[in-house]
Formats: sequence, structure tokens, C-alpha cells
Amino acid sequence: MVPLVSIMVFLPLAGALVLVALRGASPRQAHLVGLIASGLTLLAALGIWMRGVDGGFAQVEEVAWIPSLGAAYRVGVDGVSLPLVLLTGVLFVAALLFSLKMDERVGAYVALFLLLETACLGVFVALDLVLFYVFWEVTLVAMYFIIAGWGHEDRQRAALTFFLYTLLGSLPLLLAILSLYLGSQPHTFDMRALIAAPPLAGLTATLTLVALLIAFAVKTPVFPFHTWLPAAHVEAPTAGSVVLAGVLLKLGTYGLIRFALQMTPDALRSAAPVVAVFAVFSALYGAFVALAQTDLKRMVAYTSVNHMGYVVLAVAVAAAASREVVRSVALDGAVLQMVSHGIVTGALFLLVGMLQDRAATRDMAQFGGLLRVTPVLGWFFIMAAFASLGLPGLAHFPAEFQIFLGTFGVWPIALVVLLGILITAGLYLRAIQATFLGAVPDRWLTMPGLTRSDIWSVAPLLVLTLVIGIAPWWLLDLIHATVERITS
Amino acid sequence: MPETSMAHDLGLLLPEIALLLTAIAALTAGMLRRDGWALPVTLVGLAIAFGLSVPLVGTQTSIFEGTFRVDALSIWAKLILLPATALVAVLALPEVRGTDREATVFSLLSFTTLGALALAGAGDLMFLVLGLLLSGFGAFALVAYPRTDRATEAAMKYFVFGVVSGAVMTYGLTFWFGATGSTLLSDAQPLGDARLAGMASLLAVLVGLGYKAGLAPFHFWAPDAYEGAPLAVAAYLSVVTKIGAIFGLAQVAISLAPVGVGWRPAVATVAIISMTFGNLAALRQINVVRLLAYSSIAQAGYFLVGLVGAGTSLLALRSLIVFAAAYGAMNIGIFAVVAQAGRDIDAFAGLGRSRPWIGASAVIFLLSLVGVPPLAGFFGKLLLFGAAIDVGYTWLAVAAIVNSVLSLAVYLRIIVPMYQQPGIERPVSVEPTFVWSSALVLTIGLGLGAQVLIGGIL
Repeated sequence: MVPLVSIMVFLPLAGALVLVALRGASPRQAHLVGLIASGLTLLAALGIWMRGVDGGFAQVEEVAWIPSLGAAYRVGVDGVSLPLVLLTGVLFVAALLFSLKMDERVGAYVALFLLLETACLGVFVALDLVLFYVFWEVTLVAMYFIIAGWGHEDRQRAALTFFLYTLLGSLPLLLAILSLYLGSQPHTFDMRALIAAPPLAGLTATLTLVALLIAFAVKTPVFPFHTWLPAAHVEAPTAGSVVLAGVLLKLGTYGLIRFALQMTPDALRSAAPVVAVFAVFSALYGAFVALAQTDLKRMVAYTSVNHMGYVVLAVAVAAAASREVVRSVALDGAVLQMVSHGIVTGALFLLVGMLQDRAATRDMAQFGGLLRVTPVLGWFFIMAAFASLGLPGLAHFPAEFQIFLGTFGVWPIALVVLLGILITAGLYLRAIQATFLGAVPDRWLTMPGLTRSDIWSVAPLLVLTLVIGIAPWWLLDLIHATVERITS
Repeated sequence: MPETSMAHDLGLLLPEIALLLTAIAALTAGMLRRDGWALPVTLVGLAIAFGLSVPLVGTQTSIFEGTFRVDALSIWAKLILLPATALVAVLALPEVRGTDREATVFSLLSFTTLGALALAGAGDLMFLVLGLLLSGFGAFALVAYPRTDRATEAAMKYFVFGVVSGAVMTYGLTFWFGATGSTLLSDAQPLGDARLAGMASLLAVLVGLGYKAGLAPFHFWAPDAYEGAPLAVAAYLSVVTKIGAIFGLAQVAISLAPVGVGWRPAVATVAIISMTFGNLAALRQINVVRLLAYSSIAQAGYFLVGLVGAGTSLLALRSLIVFAAAYGAMNIGIFAVVAQAGRDIDAFAGLGRSRPWIGASAVIFLLSLVGVPPLAGFFGKLLLFGAAIDVGYTWLAVAAIVNSVLSLAVYLRIIVPMYQQPGIERPVSVEPTFVWSSALVLTIGLGLGAQVLIGGIL
């Protein structure tokens, strides 16, 4: 059996090492290496999907690493991680396609993206706490250098905030990992063992959960731990924002499911109402703040806080609900929402980036009527915006519908969160109107249309948006097989 | 019962004997006016001592009637400090080559390491005093050897602090001896009943070894001494004597664990003060050597986080040894980068662009010092925190974690300018390159291959 999961995880790293070895590579060659590595990675991810998963951890690969401590190299996929693995594969190809026009220190840029891809995939497939933490931290380092090296005006400060803040967030995770390790008998870092028999109880479990919640709330991000996000997004290069919103935020909610829900289930059940309050508040807060933005990129960044709030709410519902069907509806919705948000927000950041490349501004007040100048960009943006506000037939609808359905089954009052949908609808319509409708200011009349690589990077995401919106079963079946095991 | 035959005991002491002979051989080379031979002789001697230490791994005994321990701490101290001394010796070569003190410096390095090893294996109060003196006098001379004003001032400060803390320690240890009637650490049981003597002994050990380890609040000599001393000596003080003293403290802690004189809260307090003060002070430095001096005060504090678990948690010894190996590699590595780049923080501007390999190594050393996986420092810290949590000191682990974030802010002050602007071309020399590349291999290798260390302990 070919160790396809490991091959997939380390393919991008191999690409990065090739780039390090070819120090004098031209920008063209560097881009080519990046596309080949990320393309093959996507193929490997599809191969893993074709091999199939049965609900539990499948295609597990295990190699001894630090046997004296019970830590090993253990990777595998299930219905929660595989959709996120596929999402990662797709988004990195899109991000690197978009980056083709980049010509500043391309070798290092592409190498860092490939390193980041290995780290993200590693987090999703790791079945060992130490391995998980290793990949988790490497994402921070790689993202820090991407923002600091290729960001916009105030990048140093933004990168610093991002690094310090998320490190502060990830160290509680280390404590929680140690607590889980020391609580298990015999001591092990094997996530499968810890999920099969959650080791902690009582106060230790509660404190461990608190550490986990802080760690994942920073990453997701949930109010009040979201303050790093707007700065990082605004200053990051476009491809960085795509990966940040599309993949890195999912690490937080993925961890919430994998750790909090699966390894400290009882503690999360008792804490679920509190988590839900934070989630609802965070979702509404994100929507309201997004409404106040005139910078398109900041606006999209804040809608992420809103959408990720729904995911956290769904996990809380899944922990608290007494009926199994409610639990699984909510959790299905949560995982699907992660994928949908990754694709839709990835597309939105790409489109805003294309706009910024052409206009050197992201202020919607400066635009107008662009639909007539760059119709393809305009219609793409309108479609992605409609998807983001939850229009039926597009990717967010089936996910959010299930989340709200589950929420209704536990805390009907929490449906105040639906207000968020109204607000996002309002803010997207306002953004579309200000940017793409009305009269065109003279200076934009000559704005060039989308290039081929632009279209190739964003069109597949929009197709996926439509496919998931109309026929989500192919993804939901995969997700549900595992969710059923988690919730029963 | 430990065997008492002299030959058997000396057999277990072979690495130390080899080290002593190495020091004498280097000195002899100098006396024969063959200074150029001193470094090769030293490296060969260190390699022999290292080779003699390897078969000892797994031994758990004591020799000379319990006064010197041949246990995990003392054996791994050799396996870590001997290569560290070799790297420092190579780093020192460009600074001493051709001077009239060339052979002396290499000889003193071996002597001082011998003192650090005496501390790391101390099973008796006399060995603590002996180790402190042996490593102290060698180190004073090493700091002072360039005969510049700065070096002389640095050595003077180091010396005065050393003499005072040594006196405090010796005075405090008389209480220990008075209460127990024995100088053996393993006879510490009566200290549990003698409150005052227990506290005095504890204070004595903390002051004496805390000074040597550069722990706050006994650190005042360190920034000035590091700054004034030759760079290789600063690297040496920050690694070899520090680890020796911390292992010595661990030997005391292991003996005190069943006695309970309240050493855990005391050690935890020093750990917090050291970490927090070290990192906060490092945040304000503009001289990289001073920055690293304060950072090494903080790193000494991390050691104590794991030391709190000594004698109770299985993770404690492993954590100290793994972190010591990691810290030795990454700290010598970053000092070697400083030797290449310059002592001023502005000298690092653009280094990452003009010299990508040096830049990348510096980033890796610094991130390893923060504790970013999969580098060696991470596994050390993972075990240190685990040991503290294991004995119920979760709050100490939390404090250490907050400090790790603080330390990232410190190290980013070096990392950020490296990539901010295009760099100027600068010459590279052989010795620092050799040292930082060896340290780089170790920092990455000991991370991914942590099993080699962890599996070899106990």
C-alpha cells in the first residue's frame, strides 16, 4: 500500500526544498515548481478520497518516533478531516495560480507557501498530539514570514501582532496536550486512543477545555480574541489572505471538533451554553463590524468572524443536544460550513485582490459601475457575495441551514443569530452597489479585465460554490459517516 | 551498595580523567611553544573523553563513597558539555590565534568544563564547592584573557560576585553540615526537622549555584561579563557553566525531594523571577550580546520549571537533559552567528538577504529558543512543562508559557531587521561557519530525533 497520506503531506515540502536547492531559479521556474507541487498534492488528496474512508480513521500510517514518550508519527483521515484536506489542496493551487504575476523574491515566496501547505495538511491528518502541535506551530511561522515579507504597507506590525497573538493562543494548546497526555493511562499522545477513551474528568477536564477553547478561539477567531485578524488580513498579500481565511481559520474549528468535542466531551457539554453565547455574539459582532467597513478586504475579513461564529455555535449545539439527530445535523452543518467558507471567502479575497491590483485601492467609495468596465470580475464578485450571504443554491446555504436547524432543536433563542444573515445580506448588497453599479468614475474606464491566470484561479472555486450549493450530498455523505460515529 | 574498590571508581571516572589530561596536554603544548597544537590536542582529548562517556549511558551508581554520582545527569552532562566545549574552542580560535595565550585559553576551557562536570555529578557538598571553584577560577581567567579594559572590568565583576556568592554558599552549607552531621547530599533527611538550617542550606545552594547558572536575582554579573568577554567565552558561560550549575542544583533537588524543606516553591519562585526578568530586560537591549545574556537568564529559568519536578516526576530528568542538549546547540549556534554578523543589533539588518543560510540558521536558533516545533528547544520545553504539571505546578507551566510568548517578541527584534532591507555583502570566516552549521544540524536533528536523547535516559 502506497503511503498516500504522507506523500500528500510532504509533497509541498519537497517542492519547497527543490526551490531552496535551486537558489538561482527564475521567477518562472519557481512558479512552475510551486504549481507542480501543489497540483500533485491536490491529486494525491483526490487519490485519498478515491480510496475511500469508512467513517473511522482510515488510511492510517504509523511510524515510531519517540516511543519512550508514546509519541509517534501517526497520520490518517476521516470524514471530518478529508473535506478540509481537499479544501486545502484546492485553495493552495488557486492561491499559487493567482500569484503568477508576482515577481519579487518568488523562490522564497513560493517555498513559504509550500511549507505552509505541508503544515496545514499535517494539522488535518495528524493523529498524534505532538505531531499535531508541530504542524500547528509551523503554520504560524510560515504565515508570519509571508505577511512580513510580501504584505502591504504596515506589514511588519501586522505580522508581529499575528505571530505574538497566535503564539499566545497556541501555547494553551500545549498545556492542554500535556494535560491529556498526563491524564491518559498509559501515557500516550495517540489521538485515536484519547478519542476512544477521553482520559480526563472533573476540574482537570474543565481546565483543559478552557485551555483548548482559548487556543481555538484565537485561531477561529471568536470575539474577543479576533483582534489580530483584520490587521493580518489587510496587510497580507492576497494569496496569503486566501490561505489565512480559507485554511488557517479552519484549524481552529477543526481543533474544536477534534479536541474539545472528541477528547473532553463531558466538559464541553457543560460548557456548551457559554460557548454558544460567545459564538452568537461573535457572529453578530462580525456582521455588524463588517457592515461598518468601507475597505472591501476588511469587510470580507470581518464576515469571516461572522461565518466562523456559526461553526462554533454548531459545535456547541452538537455537544449540548440530547437527541442524536440534532447533534449530527449541527455537526454536519459545521463541517460543511468550514468547506463552504473556505471556498467562498477564498474566492472573495482573490477577487478583492484582483481589484486592488488594478486600482491600488480597496475603498468601495472610490469605485462605481465597474460591472460595465470589468464584467467578468463584477459578476464573479456578485456570485461570490451572494454565496457568502447564504443564498439558496450556493455553498453556504446547505451548511447554514443545517446549523440553524440544529440550533433550533436546542436553543431556539440562539436563532437571534439569524440577524447576522440579514446584516451580511445588507452589507454585500451595499458593497456590490457601491463598487459595481452606478456611474463609473473616469479614472477606472481603462481598467484592464481579468487575465487568464486570474480566471483560472477563481473560476474553479465558483464552480465548487455552485456544485456544493445545488448538490451537497457528495460531500455530506463523506462528512456524515464520521459525524454519525462522533455523535452516537 | 556502591562498590568501593579504587580501581572500579576510577574506571567510572575515566572521562573526567581524560579531560584533565587534555587540559594538561594543551598547557604543555603552550609551554613547548607549540601553541598551534593546543586546539587539535584539545579537540582530540574532548573526543576521547566523549568516547569514554558513551559506554556509561545507563549507569546509575555513585563512587568514592557516594560523593560523586555517575547517573543520568552526570553522564549526559559529559555527552552534552564536551561537544559544547569543542564547539566553543573552535569558535574561540580566530580570536586567540597567534596570541601568546592561545594554549592557555584552550587549557582553561577544559579545566572549566571539568568544574562544570564536578557540579553535574555532585553527590556531596564538597563537590559542589569544588565544582564552583574549579569552574569559577577558570572562567574568570577566560573572561579576562584579551587584557582589554572591558574584559578586565567584566572579569572583575564576575570575580567579585563569584567570591561573594561562593562565601554565602559556603557559610550556608555549614548549617547543612551542622544539621545533618554529614556532607553527603543523600544524608539530607535531618534537614526536614531543622527548619532554620533547612532554609539556610536551601538559600546557600540557590545563591551559589544560582550565581553560576545566571539565574535572577543572582545574575547581576552576567550582562556585563558577557558583553566584555570575548564572544566565544560568552557563549561558553551561557552554556557550559550554566548547565553544570543547573545539573548540580538538580542533584541537590533529587536528594531533597523526600525531605521536603520547601525547595519546590523556592525553585519555582526563582524560575518565575528569572524568566520574567530575563525576557523583559532583553526586550530593551540594542546590543545582541547583552540581549542574549538576558535571554540566557530567562532560559535558565525554564530549566528550573522542569527542575521543580526533580525526584518525583519521571519527566524531570529527561526534560533537563533534553533541554540542556537543545539549549547548548541553539545558544552556541546563535553566538556563532553573532560572531559572523556583529554585536550590534543593526548589524543584523539585511543579513537574511545577503547571507540566506546564515539568516535562516539564525531564525532557526531563535525560534528553537522560543520553543517552536519541530526544533530541539520545543521538545525540551514540552518535557519541562510536562514535569512541572506532573507535580502539580501547572501555574508555573502557565507562567513559562506566557514567558515564551514574551521571548518571541525579544527574538523577533533580531529576526525582523534581517529581512527588512537588502543587506550588505560581508565576508564569512571558516570557524563560525563550522560552529553554526554544526549547531544547526544538532538543533534540527535533536528535534526530529529526540528519541535518541529521551530513549537513552533512564
